Amino acid sequence: MTTASDVLSAVQSAFPGAVLESRVESDRRLWATIDSNSIVDVCKHLSEKLNFDHYSGAAGVDWIARKEMEVVEIMASHGAHQVVAMLKSKTPRENPSVKSLANLFWNANWYEREIWEMFGINFEGHPGLYPLLLGDELVGVWPWRKDFKGYPDLTTGQRAVERPTSEGYTEYFIPPTPAEIEAGTVPKEKPKYPSFREREEKEIKSDSEMIMHMGPQHAMLPGPFLLDILIEGERVHKAFLDMGYIHKGIEKIMENRTWLQGLTYTDRMCYVASLSNNECYCGAIEKILGLEVPLRAQYIRVILEELSRIQSHLIGTGEFMTLIAGVGYAPWNFMIIDRESIISLIESVTGARLTHTFVRFGGVRNDLPEGFSDKCRSALKYIESRTKEYIELFEQDPIYHMRMENVGVLSPDRAKRVGISGPPLRATGVAYDMRKEDPILVYPDLDFKVVTGTRGDSADRIDVRLREILESIHIIEQCLDRIPAGPIKTETKVPKKIPAGEAYYRVEDPRGEMGMYVISDGGDKPYRVKVRGPVYATLQTLPPLLEGVYIADAVAIAGSMDGCPSEADR
Amino acid sequence: MLKRKMLKNWGWPLRIASRGTEVTRLYPEVMMELPAAERGIHELDATTCIGCASCARICPNSCIEMVTYKYGSPLKNKKMQYPQIDYGRCMFCGLCVDECPAECLKMGKKVTMAGWEREDIVRGPDKLAVKKFTAKEAAELAAEAKRIAAEKAAAAAAKKKAAAKEGAPAEGAAKKVAKEGAENKPPKKAVAKEGENKEANAQEPKKEDAKPTEGGAS
Ligand code: SF4
Ligand code: SF4
Repeated sequence: MTTASDVLSAVQSAFPGAVLESRVESDRRLWATIDSNSIVDVCKHLSEKLNFDHYSGAAGVDWIARKEMEVVEIMASHGAHQVVAMLKSKTPRENPSVKSLANLFWNANWYEREIWEMFGINFEGHPGLYPLLLGDELVGVWPWRKDFKGYPDLTTGQRAVERPTSEGYTEYFIPPTPAEIEAGTVPKEKPKYPSFREREEKEIKSDSEMIMHMGPQHAMLPGPFLLDILIEGERVHKAFLDMGYIHKGIEKIMENRTWLQGLTYTDRMCYVASLSNNECYCGAIEKILGLEVPLRAQYIRVILEELSRIQSHLIGTGEFMTLIAGVGYAPWNFMIIDRESIISLIESVTGARLTHTFVRFGGVRNDLPEGFSDKCRSALKYIESRTKEYIELFEQDPIYHMRMENVGVLSPDRAKRVGISGPPLRATGVAYDMRKEDPILVYPDLDFKVVTGTRGDSADRIDVRLREILESIHIIEQCLDRIPAGPIKTETKVPKKIPAGEAYYRVEDPRGEMGMYVISDGGDKPYRVKVRGPVYATLQTLPPLLEGVYIADAVAIAGSMDGCPSEADR
Repeated sequence: MLKRKMLKNWGWPLRIASRGTEVTRLYPEVMMELPAAERGIHELDATTCIGCASCARICPNSCIEMVTYKYGSPLKNKKMQYPQIDYGRCMFCGLCVDECPAECLKMGKKVTMAGWEREDIVRGPDKLAVKKFTAKEAAELAAEAKRIAAEKAAAAAAKKKAAAKEGAPAEGAAKKVAKEGAENKPPKKAVAKEGENKEANAQEPKKEDAKPTEGGAS
């Protein structure tokens, strides 16, 4: 088995002098600072020679005291080995610029765009550095830098000035106040780039093509994002995706909240999966602290996270059924009714229906209530029988098959290349699941298999989700059998100030690979929290997947991804 | 074949519908049963709140403000400051409850709080309190507190006098006394505690043994 130290020595021998600093945290985590001139070559070497075929994301960090910025590339493998390499490259804070990996890894594109718009780090060789999450008027203020002074108030309508546009429409413009200009919150020079609209209109090649907007408000979308499709007749030629309509800046907010307060924000990244978000955040901090979680608490966490997976899959699938309308509206209602029993179970432990704020550093908030085990078992039995019914229903419905089969097919290779994770990846047959790859809590002791599909189409994605529900039920039943008595929190007192350090922690969110990169500088607040969410990767995959399909299929494909823009726009 | 399968699937909703699963809740006529762990509207035990403002500090949304309230115990809460919660901002995360050292802030099962105005959902201690002193009790407590304060002042004055009398040679001893006092909590506080115990006994006998014993400082 390849371990982190093997990888380190392989890199060191292939690129003598390129590794400036390194730390082998465990067999599965490698931290290294790479000379910024050779970062592209090192990544190329890793992906070609050392099986790092999963580019998982990138994070920007502003080290204002050291007068430098850092870009951290997160590299992993789809099952060949389990090392996650965190490769940092440094750049001075004045005119920060690093080499782009977008030509090497297709999915680096969005991560780099985000770092550029938030930190102002330029990526040399990037095919199109356009803002992704921020509105055009905010580009250039570099909001996630540590010396950012706050957004200029561009939304107060009282100051709005009317002005006509070249097309004859009236536009409202809100000039910044003199005080804001003085405070330096208004960008002095704005980067020049073509707007989203200009970019998509450039692609119209003939008179018979037109652009159709799906969103930002559309019946198909679980939240606001803009999907513009360039169509000729019924065919989609190209798709464009714009995000950021509900960008909340949670990563920045968390820098201004204490460690414990930050927990409540992880809930709100995606309220359907708030338990795994909690887990991810607390897990990262436990890693920095070196905290051991009592066994009972670990079991409680697993039980609740699996319950949360079940309800997320139920709502994801149910919602999808309303989108394709092929099988009618009924399954949605039934799944919501079923989900209610799971939600009540979770509520009886955490006290909240959706935003649980339940996991704590080194434990959990509440113990299981009396009689939980019996209630849980009977609810699970019911869900199991219902899920089997759903699987049967979808399997034998001819309309559903015509609508879904071989629609939006992803091949395993392509799926790996685009960095997608979770059920859409597993539907292609790649058994990539964090619960096996990066086992946390008591998952290694539990018996479960990774559900995979064969075709990688929309029908398979739904099928994988439904069968995962059965697998989760199996996991919970084992946990209920084995859960020991004992404390639910560590004896060690969790300090208000977390010692300086950094950690990257991954969990299997209902939608895929969720990772949090947490840096502490020894203060009572995080220095930086980077969330690598699964939906971000899923949404990035969407435009190329839609090329060449029919309009009606666009809905079937986008819906089967179970994308939650709220989490991508965290 | 195809038709038969489809017919079978159409029968499916009917089958489910006849199972008698609860689908619509008759809110508000019939309230759903909530678990004991429910994180609903807060409940404050004003008789034990010590006014430490831990809850206000931890609240991520800063929705807790400490306000003056009459019907608490001045023995525990000198400034008579109690939490007031703005439910327009509260997200029911429960961190305030976890942080409360006196365990007097809890979350109950009540969840409805519709109002006509913004102020209606800002709930002061009078609305949050599930346990409080009556006006009479509060007055007695206030008198008690006054008496204790006076006693304390007298004791302090006496001590000062004594220290002054003993003069320079006894300085070391005085220091020692002071230090001891700091260790076992100053004697004045112990008196206060005792007085309060008397009062609080009637209210909640359970709490008594949880109190730290005052190592013979009085
Ligand atoms: S529940 Fe949370 S948001 Fe509400 S008052 Fe308490 S700490 Fe604040
Ligand atoms: S409710 Fe609890 S935390 Fe808040 S002031 Fe009172 S004792 Fe302190």
